[in-house]
Amino acid sequence: MTASLRAMGALVRRALNEILRVPGGAIPGVLAPTIFMLGLSAVFGKASHLPGFTASDFRTFIVPVGFLQGASFTGAATGVNLARDIEQGWFDRLLLSPTPRPVLLAGLVGSASLRALMPASFLLVVALIVGVHWPGVLGLVVAGALVMGLACVMALWAVMLALRFRTQQAAPLMQIGGFIAVLFTTAYAPQALLTGWLRDVARINPVTHVLDGVRQGFVAQVTWGKTWPAFVAVAGLMLVLGALAVRGLRRVGV
Amino acid sequence: MATAEAAVPRVAVGRAAPGLAITVLALGRRALRNSLRRPQFLAPLIVFPSLMLAVNVGGLSRTTSLPGFPHVHGFLDFQLAAALVQSLMLGGVSAGIATALEIEGGFFDRLIAAPIPRVAIVLGRLLATGALAAGQVAYFLALGLTFGGHIEGGIAGVVLVLAIGVVAGVGFGGIGVMLALRARNASTVQGIFPIVFVVLFISDAFFPQNLLSSPADAVAAYNPLSYVADGMRNPIIASISATKVIDGLIAAAGIAVVAMALSVWALRGRLREE
Amino acid sequence: MPAIEATKLEREFKGGLRAVDGIDLAVAPGEVYAFLGPNGAGKTTTVRMLVTLLRPTGGEARVAGFDVARQPAEVRRRIGVALQEAALDLLMTGRELIELQATLHGIDPRSVRSRGDELLERVGLTEARDRRVGTYSGGMRRRLDLAMALIHEPQVLFLDEPTTGLDPVSRLTLWDEVRRLKGEGTTVFLTTQYLEEADQLADRLSIISAGKLVAEGTPGELKAQVGRPHLDITLSDGADPGDANRVLERFGELQPPGPDCHFSLRVGHGAADIAPVVRALDEAGLRVASLQVIEPSLDDVFVAKTGRHLEGASEQREAAADAAGSDGDR
Repeated sequence: MTASLRAMGALVRRALNEILRVPGGAIPGVLAPTIFMLGLSAVFGKASHLPGFTASDFRTFIVPVGFLQGASFTGAATGVNLARDIEQGWFDRLLLSPTPRPVLLAGLVGSASLRALMPASFLLVVALIVGVHWPGVLGLVVAGALVMGLACVMALWAVMLALRFRTQQAAPLMQIGGFIAVLFTTAYAPQALLTGWLRDVARINPVTHVLDGVRQGFVAQVTWGKTWPAFVAVAGLMLVLGALAVRGLRRVGV
Repeated sequence: MATAEAAVPRVAVGRAAPGLAITVLALGRRALRNSLRRPQFLAPLIVFPSLMLAVNVGGLSRTTSLPGFPHVHGFLDFQLAAALVQSLMLGGVSAGIATALEIEGGFFDRLIAAPIPRVAIVLGRLLATGALAAGQVAYFLALGLTFGGHIEGGIAGVVLVLAIGVVAGVGFGGIGVMLALRARNASTVQGIFPIVFVVLFISDAFFPQNLLSSPADAVAAYNPLSYVADGMRNPIIASISATKVIDGLIAAAGIAVVAMALSVWALRGRLREE
Repeated sequence: MPAIEATKLEREFKGGLRAVDGIDLAVAPGEVYAFLGPNGAGKTTTVRMLVTLLRPTGGEARVAGFDVARQPAEVRRRIGVALQEAALDLLMTGRELIELQATLHGIDPRSVRSRGDELLERVGLTEARDRRVGTYSGGMRRRLDLAMALIHEPQVLFLDEPTTGLDPVSRLTLWDEVRRLKGEGTTVFLTTQYLEEADQLADRLSIISAGKLVAEGTPGELKAQVGRPHLDITLSDGADPGDANRVLERFGELQPPGPDCHFSLRVGHGAADIAPVVRALDEAGLRVASLQVIEPSLDDVFVAKTGRHLEGASEQREAAADAAGSDGDR
């Protein structure tokens, strides 16, 4: 058990190492959610004047979307990095170690959850500077935990694809999954204002619950009723995608 | 009497180098074929703008009722130009990445060593980008019509949107190629991806200029992308207005001329260094 | 119990390509076993099955006493693998990499540092240990790869084309290390496309061609199967071919003389036959202009078994001939 934890820690450290040693590589991923938040609120800001819009300003409403986008980018990046490791043979080395497969997976995915805090922190600082409502410590803790959880979910998705296709060329597929998961929700407007088809998709999309959980502190107060569905959604997605990713990992090699 | 030596057919050595037009056409065809064989580079140009179009339209269709919003059949009609500009800009990034990969892989050096006008290397790539741009425009117009959009300007409108789109596409391709020639590696060119969105967000591609928040509204008034987007949007959402279309064409041509000049200049710089 | 044992081992890929087609082999503990074959013969596929990276589609294999398909974790604990491309994370330092490997192999955290340093010293990377692997030369990367494969003192070491692409000096350093490991009792399974490497290092070797084993034995046994050594002798101008024939016939089977008093004599031992032959010619008043021992090579074995040369074998043969020629000239 302790050996497994140590192995997991070593794998997480290796993934984080990459950010420290190629800082330039991480910059677009860190900046992108903030660019989207500032850009979308500059462009669509007046949407908050629509009757039925539940937040006082569009920027506050869209900041939580940026958090989830950051988690999604980070998850996809984890998959792309794994695909690169597979292409270059490094992953064979990991498979040759006696470390149990789920520990290898946890190491890969765990790094994504920590990395997701980078774009989130940057976004939060910029958001607060431009006047976004302070979500409170509890709101922030809940949001942080959900962002980390969603990063794991997205990383599992991307890892599953990386194991399936074994090439970095699958990167767009990994990114598109996150894009759909995060934006086909109540990302731009409350459910009642969405067009028919998107309203239906958002209703069945579990990430809508995660978004509501992250958003609650920003637009109102943290409530148990908005918190537990968010965590259940993350846990459910993790379970399903985790099982699929472990299956993918078992198919690689013996 | 013919000697045995004379009977052997001679290889055409020393013939004049092929002309610019033939070379550009050959290189353009090659670049286009190359792009079409790399779905991983093509997919983002189509898939991301399509998804963003779906999300924008699905999430914000009610905004057409905001005071000051121009008269449109639906938000989809308004957003088509945004998706087009976005896709064409990503096409520019893709042209840059393709060029950078050729530099990294050594194929570019082979082209430079060939007895062809060097400017043809850039023009060939841009020809392919232009052809691809025509395909992108056709795809988004078809997508719009499929999901209930309208093209008010009719066939003439489609031709105008195509014209502006192709010229702008060549311009964005020129910027991508210029960056590739300067940076020489694909990951740097890929790094400008977020900048595409920054430039888009400070234009009126996504929303009417009068409804943008400050200071984006002020910047959008000077952003050539706004004119390109308006030029393509006008034939879609209204009867054709000469001013908007001509402004769009001028802006697109301006981008194309400047970008081509810069990329040819970057090529010269690169050749000087070698 | 053999250290490696495969019975009717098979791997068929999608589309029906049978990369490995019923291989039987047994490697004794402490043996250096070379697996020789051209690109695409099935070498790497076989190794990937033996090291648990690829599931066999038929037959079975046991490594260190454990079944590769049913007890992969047990196998992994007992083997070290140096991969063909020396897949390393170029952003990490040598020391970080070897310590990561140690952690993944569950080595006690208190001894991770000392064990890593000890191995880095062994492969001559102590000075470079805090540099990023991206700055290492090809030879240094292979040595680091080897050190990583040894971190948990494996019983069986797999080296997949360990010297492909290396300069001659780095190649010799790696060979020395393999000999040292053999001295320590480690079983080494080595794939290579270099005949000389197999000849120099292997106790036994097998040749794989189109997924099947076509020959197995010690280098000497295999060479003996395809023929005996012969001496290529050229006598000085003016020598009487008849006299020469009479002298040389006493030592072995003689081919008819070629132009310029050139003789080819099939002998029993090779180099050991040189002195008596030269002495006898000298006593008969025949002066030797040049003499060369031609030993059957593994390439001859390869040609005899597969009907074609191994890629690059001609260069190796030329290099060997050059070396032998300069030694053998009188």
